[in-house]
Amino acid sequence: MKLLKKEFRLCVHPAAWMMLALGALILTPNYPYAVSFFYMTLGIFFICLSSRENHDAAYTLTLPVSRRDMVRGRVLLSCCLEGLDLAVCAAFIVLKNLIGGGKNAAGMDANLALLGEGLLLFSLFHIIFFPAWYKDIAKVGKPFVAASAAVFLYIVLALVSTYALPFVRDCLDTPDPAHLPEKLLFLLLSAGCYGLCTALSIRWSARNFEALDLQ
Amino acid sequence: MVKNDIPLSVRGLCKRYPSFELRDVSFDLAPGKITGFIGRNGAGKTTTLHSILCFVKPDEGEVAFGGLTMADSAAQIKQHIGFVSAGMSYYTAKRLRTITAVTRSFYPAWSDEAYRRYMGLFGLEEEKTPAQLSNGMKIKYALALALSHGAELLLLDEPTSGLDPISREELIEIFLALREEGKTILFSTHITSDLEKCADRILFLQKGRLTADRELNDFAASYSLLSCQGDAPGEIKPFSLGQRRTKDGCTVLVEKKAADAFSLPFRQPTLDEIMVHLEKEDRP
Repeated sequence: MKLLKKEFRLCVHPAAWMMLALGALILTPNYPYAVSFFYMTLGIFFICLSSRENHDAAYTLTLPVSRRDMVRGRVLLSCCLEGLDLAVCAAFIVLKNLIGGGKNAAGMDANLALLGEGLLLFSLFHIIFFPAWYKDIAKVGKPFVAASAAVFLYIVLALVSTYALPFVRDCLDTPDPAHLPEKLLFLLLSAGCYGLCTALSIRWSARNFEALDLQ
Repeated sequence: MVKNDIPLSVRGLCKRYPSFELRDVSFDLAPGKITGFIGRNGAGKTTTLHSILCFVKPDEGEVAFGGLTMADSAAQIKQHIGFVSAGMSYYTAKRLRTITAVTRSFYPAWSDEAYRRYMGLFGLEEEKTPAQLSNGMKIKYALALALSHGAELLLLDEPTSGLDPISREELIEIFLALREEGKTILFSTHITSDLEKCADRILFLQKGRLTADRELNDFAASYSLLSCQGDAPGEIKPFSLGQRRTKDGCTVLVEKKAADAFSLPFRQPTLDEIMVHLEKEDRP
């Protein structure tokens, strides 16, 4: 908790808070809403970038903490911000349904399943970005480009699936509260995937970071 | 509280890079003393300090503090160590108050009273950011943090580099006061004149190898510097530890006991002269 407090007080870049506001994109008609989750990964990228500029790792290594704890702190910070992002998106989903937003022609509707789609996007980001970044924390760009490429491919596939996969088209991509049990199940499975990918990400990142020489 | 007669023990430290190798560095720090760590740029001083602090992973060797090894108990040991580096500036846009609040939370032994005392003594204001501090003030702030969590051992990496003579003198006075309080200090620098004012012991690193670990006075007194008009006589060559040109001729560093054998004026060299001559001889 001390490291998480340190992350929030010293490391969060203002851009990460601004990205939360982009959950409002859900109010946009016919927009690939999963992109709003991508903006939060961009916020996390800014945090890692400013950490490098502020010599965050050198400062933290002088504190009585292990490298594994440092990795946990950063990934946990990301989880907190992603949780906030999901909460903001959930609020806009509710708002959109209240004002009668209608059907989204560019991917998943603004519904419960969209949050599951966000969790899967964050899972993919965690499993690619953090282990690659902790191989060399001085190089933030390459891991982010690699993770973003995978995330955009995922967004395209998710969008296509709302037309091509019958289960997604007929059950998940429908206005709430239609097919609520299926959407809830999808959300739970996505949360499980998120937990698993985050745990693996911490494990692989810590292994890479423990082998890294900081100059 | 971790206590031991030897606050820091380094044994067989090795670190290999493609273009540099730290080789078998071993030393013990005397408690309550200032140990100067000298060597030219690139000799491996920072690599040694970074290996002690686990910034880099040594290929071989062990670092122990108060009977605990860094490999097994790094977090516990770091409760008792303060690291101050001239090259680092953390979170330049954050207020010192915020950085202090975060740092304080990691140290159960933190003393607000000590913190206020050092902040006052060093003339630091909590509302400022590191970006608003001079290099000397940044070092003083890092010292204030280290001393407020009760660090018994201070590792100083080039703390006086880039400072004006008055700021350097101020810092040296602070280090001497800390020594009187019983703190152990490892002071890495290539500004050897600073060490002549405060160090008790000298570690001399050349090309990644520790070539001297002695009391400062013994170290300086074990050499003599011969002054020659023109070129050095040929008979000096077998005794020469290093030769350097001057505007009138040259100076030759020899062991003290060898100096009387020549009819040349000689005197005790400064640390700076010893380092320069030894490095010159060592250069291929």
